[in-house]
Amino acid sequence: MLIQHCKNTLNNFSALYNIRQILLLIPKSNALISIFLTGNKLIKIKSVRNKILIFLTFLTLLKTTASMAQTPSDALMMDNNELCIAMIYQNDTWDEYWEGALLRDNQNIGILTRNTIMPIMAYGISSKFNVIIALPYVTTEASRGQMAGTSGLQDFGIFAKFSPYELKKESCSISTFVTGGFSVPASSYLSDYMPFNLGLGTQEFSLRGVLKYEHKSGVYLRGSYAYLHRTTTEAERDYYYADGSYYTTTMDVPSASNAEVALGGWLFNKAIQLEAGYVTQTSFTGDDIRRQNAGQPTNKMDMASINGRLRYFPSILKGLSIMAGYSDVLSGRNVGKSTIISGGITYQFMLKKAQS
Amino acid sequence: MTSNKYIHKLSLFLILTSSFFLTQGCEKDLPRFVEFEPYSFTNIDKDGGMWKQVHMTGVEQIIIDAPAAPTSDAYKIEVAAAKTAIAAMTADDEEALKYWGNNPIVRWNEIARELAAKYNLIPPPNADGTYTLPDPANPSKFPYFPFAHPPYSSRAYAYMSVAQFDALIAAWHYKYKFGRPALHKNDSSVKQLLPTTDLPSYPSDGAVIAAVSREILSAMFPLEKDYLKSKADESKKALILSGLHVQSDVSAGDSLGRGIAKVVLQRAAGDGMRFAQTPKSISDSIKNAAFARFGWKWTNQETPERPVGLTPFFGKVETWSIPDLVAVRPPVPPAIGSAEFNKAADELKNIANNITTEQRKIANWWSDGFSTTTPPGHWNRFASDYIVKYKYSPLRSARTYAYMNMAVQDAGICCWDAKYYYHYPRPIEAIPGFKSILGSPNFPSYTSGHSTFSAAAAAVLANIFPSEKKQVDDWANEAAESRIYGGIHYRFDSEAGLEQGRKVAAFTITKAMADGAN
Repeated sequence: MLIQHCKNTLNNFSALYNIRQILLLIPKSNALISIFLTGNKLIKIKSVRNKILIFLTFLTLLKTTASMAQTPSDALMMDNNELCIAMIYQNDTWDEYWEGALLRDNQNIGILTRNTIMPIMAYGISSKFNVIIALPYVTTEASRGQMAGTSGLQDFGIFAKFSPYELKKESCSISTFVTGGFSVPASSYLSDYMPFNLGLGTQEFSLRGVLKYEHKSGVYLRGSYAYLHRTTTEAERDYYYADGSYYTTTMDVPSASNAEVALGGWLFNKAIQLEAGYVTQTSFTGDDIRRQNAGQPTNKMDMASINGRLRYFPSILKGLSIMAGYSDVLSGRNVGKSTIISGGITYQFMLKKAQS
Repeated sequence: MTSNKYIHKLSLFLILTSSFFLTQGCEKDLPRFVEFEPYSFTNIDKDGGMWKQVHMTGVEQIIIDAPAAPTSDAYKIEVAAAKTAIAAMTADDEEALKYWGNNPIVRWNEIARELAAKYNLIPPPNADGTYTLPDPANPSKFPYFPFAHPPYSSRAYAYMSVAQFDALIAAWHYKYKFGRPALHKNDSSVKQLLPTTDLPSYPSDGAVIAAVSREILSAMFPLEKDYLKSKADESKKALILSGLHVQSDVSAGDSLGRGIAKVVLQRAAGDGMRFAQTPKSISDSIKNAAFARFGWKWTNQETPERPVGLTPFFGKVETWSIPDLVAVRPPVPPAIGSAEFNKAADELKNIANNITTEQRKIANWWSDGFSTTTPPGHWNRFASDYIVKYKYSPLRSARTYAYMNMAVQDAGICCWDAKYYYHYPRPIEAIPGFKSILGSPNFPSYTSGHSTFSAAAAAVLANIFPSEKKQVDDWANEAAESRIYGGIHYRFDSEAGLEQGRKVAAFTITKAMADGAN
């Protein structure tokens, strides 16, 4: 059960991250990370206070939930301290992108390649509550032209996943999950350097609801919907044009929704998991990239993609799995027409032996 | 029991998570214009009507009628109309009144900068690999006219500022010639809603500025005529609501402004700008001449290659103050492959490989590339900030913009002369495998436009605001340095540009010192 839970956690998690990799955007120093790492004085105190407050509230939430799961009298809780570690690699390339609604190539970019290596750790606080952290390292480069690519740590993400309801019958099971996430830039990358930016340079709060139906045969259908709330990002210029003038270094990064449906199943006595999915992402606001201009973090970024995933659990080592994935953007707005190939390895084990 | 516990947890989780979103939601109100309060002018320069104009040949070259006397029925009818308008003022009107303030030239400069940013987009390649250029005769056909690149924008700012300055000198002349007091001084029941001045109200300087700015910008950005009219109308309405003006003040200002704009635009029509973007044959002969002279030539590195660089003949556009371009032309740059060249190239490679966050920030801060107000726009922003800081009157403001923008356009003209005379290749062309964090512009490297523009602007601002000299010099040096950090200029491009900009500005400053304002 716990193993199953951990698998789902990682699956959904990488789906969530895929979306961010596909984006065209570029990085810039982030308020919260700057205050922690460099004490950047340019930041408005009020907003930083707010942000810190929110961050602390979030940590408090995690703590609260955790302590509720571990009642003082329940020493057996340690039994559930299982840890999953994973390393995921993604290769995202595009040779066409949408400039507003116009799909075009750019011979001064050629093929844009974005490689991501993402270590992930997931920890089972209880069989109903997991915490996940991830820290992707990204490199970007263009095959043509003279613009320099970039590399560095992207965003540190922490996600709390909760399974509030589960129904098990002989013929099928229904499970639900709610995931709350927070991510924050982990380096001073510039988001306003599209399309080479490592990330959006914004804090992101996400809330995702997942509903899954699984037939006893192993075939399952999963649907999820997420709200991605993005704060602002800092550009390295104090004037920019986004359907009019903005006299600030701060750029509003549109918040977005993300929806997914996936059909999957288990084969060979649960040694292999296969899944195909359809994902859409829609920004609630934002401007279009203007003709022959570079994109910027204020852009409305929409996309729809299909993906396929394969996961193999070799019998040689219990807890080990190998993953491979493929994703293709079908339609979009102000994003690259990406093809993503991913691979990864996960291993899960008990952090401490159960006390008997 | 267990499920209750989880429902409780879930609720807590959802409530707290949602509260993050709500708290964050309020932080995205971002400034769309520079905010400042209307202020009292430090000096209203009563003798301003005697200052020397830049282009106009006399303050009464455009005639306006003498105003009706404050005791006349005609005036009383206008007062009644103004009072009715003031009584009907809405919250939006109050916002507009505060926005335009009593020195609307600052807003018109902001509007010009926004239009520059809006139109500062380079034409994309066609499917067959060719490029289509904007056509001034058919501005709404894509690619839209104009492409407001730095030379184009420097010229637009200069014409607008010169026309504003000449028009305000004439306005000052008429104001003191006719001496009509402001509305609230004629009728004590009218509340004045902007800081008081003793400036006579006929013609309204705000209306002069609205008319002249609208006319020049409509010529420079023909697709924006409707937008500019709406801004001018809003500005003129605010003048009546301010309690300072009646309709005839505004109408006279409008007529004076339009008359002067028309004369100034005649200069623009014949200043050579329409030949600046040469055909390929001329561009090639310029290139070949440079190659024959120096043994090098610049070539656009984009794919598909842009066949002609940006405005090869901008260096032939009529200057405002430079008697002889060759006299301010910098010396020959180091030969490609020479020790001096290699040193500069090594510096660029070293920066590219080890760029610091601070260097990157400087490169981006001054980047002023596509979709921005251009480097001349960046300096107009500084000028605006100083004008507000030092509480300059409309006339002093216009003088600041005019001399700065003349120097900046002249700097551009001299810089472009050097760029196409020397035709020096960019680092991405001359250094094998070199990549940069800024895009290399579509024109030769030597001298750096940013450096030339910036040194010229800084020199004029330092002359007008002496206590800001260190600040503006630091900015100019940083702007010059930024192009090296960005990997698109050699150090010698930037150094020669700074020197050239200072030389150019000296001519402008000599002219300014003799205009009667000091």
